[in-house]
Amino acid sequence: MLEAFANGFSGLLAGFSHLQLTNVVMIVVGCTLLYLGIKKDFEPLLLVPIGFGCILVNIPLADLMEPHGFLRTIYDAGIMTELFPLLIFVGIGAMTDFSPVLENPVTLLLGAAGQFGIFLTLGLALALGFNEMDSVAIGVIGACDGPTAIYVTSQYAPHLLGAVSVAAYSYMSLVPIIQPPIMRALTTEKERIVVMKATRKSVSRTTRILFPVIITIIGGIIAPKGLPLLGTIMLGNLMRECGTVERLTKASANEIANVVTLLLGISIGATMDGKIFLQTQTLIVLALGFIAICLDTACGVLLGKVLYVTTKGKINPLIGAAGISAFPMSARVVMKEGQKYNKKNYLLMHAMGANAAGQIGSVIAAAVMLSVLKGMGII
Amino acid sequence: MKIELTSPIPGKIMKVLVGVGDAVNEDDEVMKIESMKMENPIYAPATGTIIAVCAKENNEVEVDDLLLVIEEAC
Amino acid sequence: MDKWTFGVTMLVVGMGGTMLTLGIMSVIIALLKKVFPYKKEAEEKS
Repeated sequence: MLEAFANGFSGLLAGFSHLQLTNVVMIVVGCTLLYLGIKKDFEPLLLVPIGFGCILVNIPLADLMEPHGFLRTIYDAGIMTELFPLLIFVGIGAMTDFSPVLENPVTLLLGAAGQFGIFLTLGLALALGFNEMDSVAIGVIGACDGPTAIYVTSQYAPHLLGAVSVAAYSYMSLVPIIQPPIMRALTTEKERIVVMKATRKSVSRTTRILFPVIITIIGGIIAPKGLPLLGTIMLGNLMRECGTVERLTKASANEIANVVTLLLGISIGATMDGKIFLQTQTLIVLALGFIAICLDTACGVLLGKVLYVTTKGKINPLIGAAGISAFPMSARVVMKEGQKYNKKNYLLMHAMGANAAGQIGSVIAAAVMLSVLKGMGII
Repeated sequence: MKIELTSPIPGKIMKVLVGVGDAVNEDDEVMKIESMKMENPIYAPATGTIIAVCAKENNEVEVDDLLLVIEEAC
Repeated sequence: MDKWTFGVTMLVVGMGGTMLTLGIMSVIIALLKKVFPYKKEAEEKS
């Protein structure tokens, strides 16, 4: 009898004896993510479920990520199948107003330059000795876009998923700190004070409806491997602009996006098992991700400078920094920086254009990357 | 000389911080416009006295809509 | 294929391809705007 008591009681103590240092460290990491999300307001919608998922998966013997564990079930259903990031994309399409891009299509070029960090970082990762697919996953942090990064990484380098998505999401919220020094370093006072007037509405409804359809067809034919990303974001945008399926638009932008964000967050957190996450490799990934976003900003601003010269000083190079897809943080940063040097300069609409172009840019960059890999026979 | 301040961005007037008869300096904040879910300060284009305020709080404005008129101090 | 070739290919074709694709798209949008210009009256209703 006494022995049965002791055995039963040992069941309650087993968790403690199986607790390893890596678990403890990761629980602290999870709590830090929660702290950042709750107290510091860094992307709380993502960091709260990610942080909690991280805590859950590091509690020993609960086996939440083992076959049939509930986190494993969610992960297999949504991340392995790519469904979650794609559903989020429908929501992003339904939420984003692309009309600032349509007003000024040149901004799409800034949206392309804002992705160059992806490819530069990819090269850097290769040089540091990562293999091809890992380098691709690390580079894609430079898309500065959570769902894109998750989409690519979960397919081709799932062991890096935790690190890559945490980097993508946390740097996204650090954009207001990362970008301004780079913007200042690369521009002259004269360039920063260039006033760009906002344009009055000049895009017809027909154009706004045809835009997602035509972009999907052309983009899909050029880079078929990225069509799931492009197609979902454009479907969302078509629903938003056509105005006849308001219920679907609302559902995609609110209910579906909210539910999926929760499931996505918790399953990303679940990939942060101490045994896999706590490696020097993770630190290198985080550092490279940081570099990727700096390079994005630099390339965007540099292309802005090129446009400044080619348009004879009509384009303020600062808006180039908004060519990354951290929407709309990056556009706000540009607006604020611009006003610092010239109070009567309201760059917001142009920055929004570049920023929305950055969203399209990150999708196209990932699509092009996957199609090039396919073309070379690597995937 | 009369100087007109027109809206630099489309959005909704959140707050008008000045009234007719107020003296303003160039680059003083005169109103806030919410655009793209962001609060944007709008600054006075010149130093002088406000002689008309056309912007009303909670109204939607388009680019180039007249917000207020300043009689510039000489 | 060695890593060096892979890296340079990704860099050149990747960046070039992204720029080219988005360039084509911006031309298409500019054309769309020419073909379907904005008309104030027609838009007010919608």
